[in-house]
Amino acid sequence: MKSRILVIVSLLILTGSLVSYFYWPADKIDYNTQVKPIFNKKCIACHGGVKQKAGFSLLFREEALGNTESGRPAIIPGNPDESELIRRITETDPEERMPYKHEALSKGEIEILTQWIKQGAEWGEHWAYLSVTNEKVPDINNEWIRNSIDNFILNNLQEVGIQPSAQADKPTLLRRVSLDLTGLPPEESVATKFLNDNSDQAYENLVNELLAASGYGERWASLWMDLARYADTRGYEADRSRSIWKYRDWLIKAFNDDKPYNKFLEEQLAGDLMPNPDDSKYIATAFHRNTMTNDEGGTENEEFRTAAVLDRVNTTWSALMGTTFNCVQCHSHPYDPFKHEEYYKFTAFFNNTRDEDTQAEYPVLRQYSATDSLKLLQVKDWLTKNVSTEKGNEYYTFLKTWQPTINSLLCDEFKNAALISSWYAGLRNQGSCRLQNVTLENKNQLMVRYTSRYDGGQWSIYLDSLNGQLLKSISLSNTKNEWKILTTDIPLSSGTHNLYFNYFNPSIKSLDETGVMFEWFQFGQQFPGKEKTDFDVAYKNFNDLMKSKVEETPILIENNKEQFRSTHVFERGNWLVKGEEVTPDVPHIMNPMDANAPKNRLGLAMWLTDKKNPLVARALVNRLWEQLFGFGIVETLEDFGTQGIPPTHKELLDHLSWQFMNDFDWSLKKLLKEMVMSATYRQNSKTNDELIRKDPENKLYARGPRIRLSAEQLRDQALVVSNLISKKMYGKSVMPYQPGGIWRSPYNGDKWVMSKGEDQNRRALYTYWKRTAPYPSMLTFDGGAREVCVTRRIRTNTPLQALTALNDSTFFVMARSFAFRMQALESNDVRKQIQKGYESMLFKPISNNRLSALVELYTKSMSTFATDKKATTEIVGTSNTAIPETAALIVVANAMLNLDEWVNKN
Amino acid sequence: MTQKEIHTQRLLKELKDLALQHHTRRHFLKESAMGLGALALGALLPGCTNNSSEVANNLFDATNPLTPKSPMFPGKARSVIYIHMAGAPSQLELFSYKPELSKLDGQDCPPSLLEGKKFAFIRGVPKMLGPQAKFKQHGKGGLWLSENLPHLSTVADDIAILNAVTTDQFNHAPAQLLMHTGTARLGRPSMGSWVTYGLGTENKNLPGFVVLTSGGNNPDAGKSVWGSGFLPSVYQGVQCRSEGDPVLFIKDPDGMNRDIRKASIDAINKINQEQYEEYKDPEILSRIAQYEMAYKMQISVPEVMNINDEPEYIHQMYGTKPGAASFANNILLARKLVEKGVRFVQLFDWGWDAHGDSAGNAVDIGLVNKCRLVDKPITALILDLKQRGLLDDTLVIWGSEFGRTPMQENREGKKMPFKGRDHHAEAFSMWMAGGGIKGGTSHGETDEIGYSAVSGKVDAFDIQATILNQLGFDHEKFTYESQGRPFRLTDVSGKVIHQIIT
Repeated sequence: MKSRILVIVSLLILTGSLVSYFYWPADKIDYNTQVKPIFNKKCIACHGGVKQKAGFSLLFREEALGNTESGRPAIIPGNPDESELIRRITETDPEERMPYKHEALSKGEIEILTQWIKQGAEWGEHWAYLSVTNEKVPDINNEWIRNSIDNFILNNLQEVGIQPSAQADKPTLLRRVSLDLTGLPPEESVATKFLNDNSDQAYENLVNELLAASGYGERWASLWMDLARYADTRGYEADRSRSIWKYRDWLIKAFNDDKPYNKFLEEQLAGDLMPNPDDSKYIATAFHRNTMTNDEGGTENEEFRTAAVLDRVNTTWSALMGTTFNCVQCHSHPYDPFKHEEYYKFTAFFNNTRDEDTQAEYPVLRQYSATDSLKLLQVKDWLTKNVSTEKGNEYYTFLKTWQPTINSLLCDEFKNAALISSWYAGLRNQGSCRLQNVTLENKNQLMVRYTSRYDGGQWSIYLDSLNGQLLKSISLSNTKNEWKILTTDIPLSSGTHNLYFNYFNPSIKSLDETGVMFEWFQFGQQFPGKEKTDFDVAYKNFNDLMKSKVEETPILIENNKEQFRSTHVFERGNWLVKGEEVTPDVPHIMNPMDANAPKNRLGLAMWLTDKKNPLVARALVNRLWEQLFGFGIVETLEDFGTQGIPPTHKELLDHLSWQFMNDFDWSLKKLLKEMVMSATYRQNSKTNDELIRKDPENKLYARGPRIRLSAEQLRDQALVVSNLISKKMYGKSVMPYQPGGIWRSPYNGDKWVMSKGEDQNRRALYTYWKRTAPYPSMLTFDGGAREVCVTRRIRTNTPLQALTALNDSTFFVMARSFAFRMQALESNDVRKQIQKGYESMLFKPISNNRLSALVELYTKSMSTFATDKKATTEIVGTSNTAIPETAALIVVANAMLNLDEWVNKN
Repeated sequence: MTQKEIHTQRLLKELKDLALQHHTRRHFLKESAMGLGALALGALLPGCTNNSSEVANNLFDATNPLTPKSPMFPGKARSVIYIHMAGAPSQLELFSYKPELSKLDGQDCPPSLLEGKKFAFIRGVPKMLGPQAKFKQHGKGGLWLSENLPHLSTVADDIAILNAVTTDQFNHAPAQLLMHTGTARLGRPSMGSWVTYGLGTENKNLPGFVVLTSGGNNPDAGKSVWGSGFLPSVYQGVQCRSEGDPVLFIKDPDGMNRDIRKASIDAINKINQEQYEEYKDPEILSRIAQYEMAYKMQISVPEVMNINDEPEYIHQMYGTKPGAASFANNILLARKLVEKGVRFVQLFDWGWDAHGDSAGNAVDIGLVNKCRLVDKPITALILDLKQRGLLDDTLVIWGSEFGRTPMQENREGKKMPFKGRDHHAEAFSMWMAGGGIKGGTSHGETDEIGYSAVSGKVDAFDIQATILNQLGFDHEKFTYESQGRPFRLTDVSGKVIHQIIT
């Protein structure tokens, strides 16, 4: 009976579809899902971005429809019979048939292409390059659902017939959400409150509390430091120290203040270009000063400046937009619709920053002491009042940044002179060099930063040749091993000139001795307002401030008109082969820039945070999702393009991205709250053979996330449970214990000097990060070297991780301290000590099996330590309290801090 | 072992196998999904493509990342010992015999050699510097070797010298990166990482890729030259050290004896097993296995790193002294590691940067001394591998990041206190031995003064291609998908140097 009905139904369906096949026009072919995959798979290798055989490319519509080498187009919209493409894929002659020397297209594929051409050969864009849409939330009712995320997830699960899991038990959820939001286990008081609160509000209250905790900013700053390739050194050979920790502190504050993500990005990309930027806005721009610089002798500064600029382009795309733009550096993208020259148009946004691979990492933000800051305000106010607002701002910027100045490394034509250590123009006796294209119009003062070991030097500046007109001759004295700033008047001249420098010092007998080294020059105007009251005060303050020794942080500053750099396409990506000149613009495939937006980094930042930008919100939502769930909705966080792994829940990604921009006003806290409040997130993470088979990586989210903690979380939670953690925030990076022999950079005397006191026990994000020799345990637990943007950490599970967690003395000291804590919780009874200890780790009672395994370990250890005083003392660390019971408990504590349930969030 | 323990172990094994199956399946699925993209690209597209169905993309199995794997075709070599002299020894005092250069000693460098060139330190017009060593031909192949290498000269018929190696980098860090990672910038996997990723390793109880450094400093490019770049971090080189723990954190904390450590790992694994019963996450089984392996490594690593028990004649042969931090000790360790099944051993010896700014950096003083420290052990390595029957399947490479100028360095245009040479990218020498390399051959020639390569020119990519070839990999097809595109060690170029292969 049943089968008969089935037959009838099938027949009906069949008839229906035949009818539709014959009587209704065929369905519209979708370019993205039907055509593009065929092109990518079968055609693009020879007819795409890198190769365009026979002058035919399928990358862009205008190319695909354009004339090929044969003089005719291969695709004629609406007319498949006349289209060469169709002829070639259906040809029987193997020499003619495409794909050449590869398997022919299937009938189905040929049919799709034929229909597509018939329907007009319309192009479609890959989903990720189209603006975010406001997706309709699937209309399903189920008690399990807590917010709209669950509608999407459950909708999918129902399609494949899998049930979601129940909520995790309270202790598991408590630890999971706390580690996720703050990177730390919950504080005892927070934990107790939650565990004892049986109201419906308990979980939401907990989430609110965690979002408001100061640890929240530190946890999310750690993530951003990977993207920003934050490090405390410069990279390459000597890998010298860099002072950029204020940027890390800026991140922590920004996250804790829940600075809206659009503002957060705008300030990092272009804080310096905003009106009257304060220190905070300047420091934000250090985001893109985390690029590497090469200090190695003889390096071409321009090469490494260029490398840093390209790194900024690549990082902007991979970190903020989840797109691999690097390919386009050498040729049009083979799969995604980006053109070669578009890479360089985008580069043009970044190519006019002042940094030039200098030793001092100019430009830097000079951060004055409180007293000096008052002087700075005095100078600015005085100038504003007595001269002009413009002058006030100009001098303020100059004192804060020493910009605009001209770096001496731009000098050339050295005669008995040299560019010393590739940074400083150095002149020997009667030596000379040239500085090109200096605008002297309206300039009546020269300021120079130099060092000399001799008195009696004479520095002469000539216009346009060594025999040219003498602009000025200046006496240089011994600066006693210091850099000194000298200010001198120069006569007014007009136009732009090449300046020739000559140095003479009768007191130096050898021609080989370097008499003077210059660092930078500034051709400008005398301090204005000489006739006004209090000029002397202001001018003195100005000079004092120029001399102040200050904390400096590398930042971005834009070139002024005189220093403008043109940007060119690099042929095949080679920076030495410059092609056509380009001006700043964004790729045509994306939302256009606002017509009123400036064509600089600020305009670029506004374009990124325009709600029409298809990638920025999606990339961020995806990244946060990955942090909580272990995989992104698009697994390839760094590639949303056609070659990335397609999203598992595209509608959900769009829904959250839309909410993030429109409903949450770019608030990360609101977005994270939405995610952790969902039933999807709260599920228990237990699985079973069937689920493992159907969904091994939990991409359908029928169970809660279960992932190994990050290197940072592992250190931090061990510090917490062992009661060692320092709550100190901010400041210079610290050096906790590290075994000897890790740092061995050549030409660099820097040493790992163990920090003192509580700085030994700071959270992981404060650990000094040396690019060529990162902190070993961080590296072992999958931290990257941060040479370039770390777009995604790939989790591994290795024996070296086991050895680190067991034996690294940092971890062992924590185990020791954890054992002391257990003893303090409960005197004498070891079973109770272990029980309490376990509860302080995982907030739930220990199982009998676990307890007996640990007690057994304790007993075995006791039998050794009872008769071995030396071993006991070594384990306990001091002889006063060294009793076998303590030593045995330390062994137990060490084992407990290696349990799988401890190194994972469950 | 009690019945119950045996039962538990069997159960554990079954569970592991089950988990592995899942992983394999999951892997297969992933590959089919990603493979479509990979298949699309023909072998026709260089570099930015991979092609190939035969090479499954991203052969990464998180549960068992180091399991031995077969190469693409049977390779001649099974393992690699790569000896890098960081700082760049002068080819003109070692392998590149240039009598004409002697005649030009002390004369101004002809302008044609300087036009359009940039040097690290040479400024203005430097003087030519004649070879500071005598040369003789050695072995049946008649290879030219200088008096600085008296020992190596005795095994000349086992090595193939490349005399026209070139690079486009004249600074240490970028040049080292190019040689070992295929790019002058940071961020790509090193050769050893590629090889362990492709082949896994044969001794589970030792790391697959071991790095040994000597000379007091790390190489200029730091740990990036043995980093794993975008490959999973499990493939990065593990630095074995001659002071402190041989591998970081391999030693138990003071006071913890092996029995207690064993007991604690047993307790951890027992609890993790219970955790597995509860959660069924295969990663937990993997963790159990890693803790077991860690325990075994704690025995096997110190064992292999200990040279005390080597017989006296071996110490004589290598010039090793147990306990010292020396290049010779590292070379002996390299042999021991390879013997135990380690896939790739990378040695760096620092201190070859003979600019002439000090006696230690003079080509006629410091260089001679450095040669004395390496010549004997390297020769011993070749002889020892041979007598153990290991040379045939162990590829030995000796080289550096670039060579040195035929001109004497004149830093900042001034005369230097000692005889030294500047960095030189256009011509230098390297050699290979064992693993299917044709001994007694010399490939490539430079001009009369050793300035430029004139024939048989090879670069880092060719050397990488050759090493991969000897291990059984087609360097154009051996790729890893990252940031949306397949990458190879040799980037977009590289040709196997067939002239030196048997």
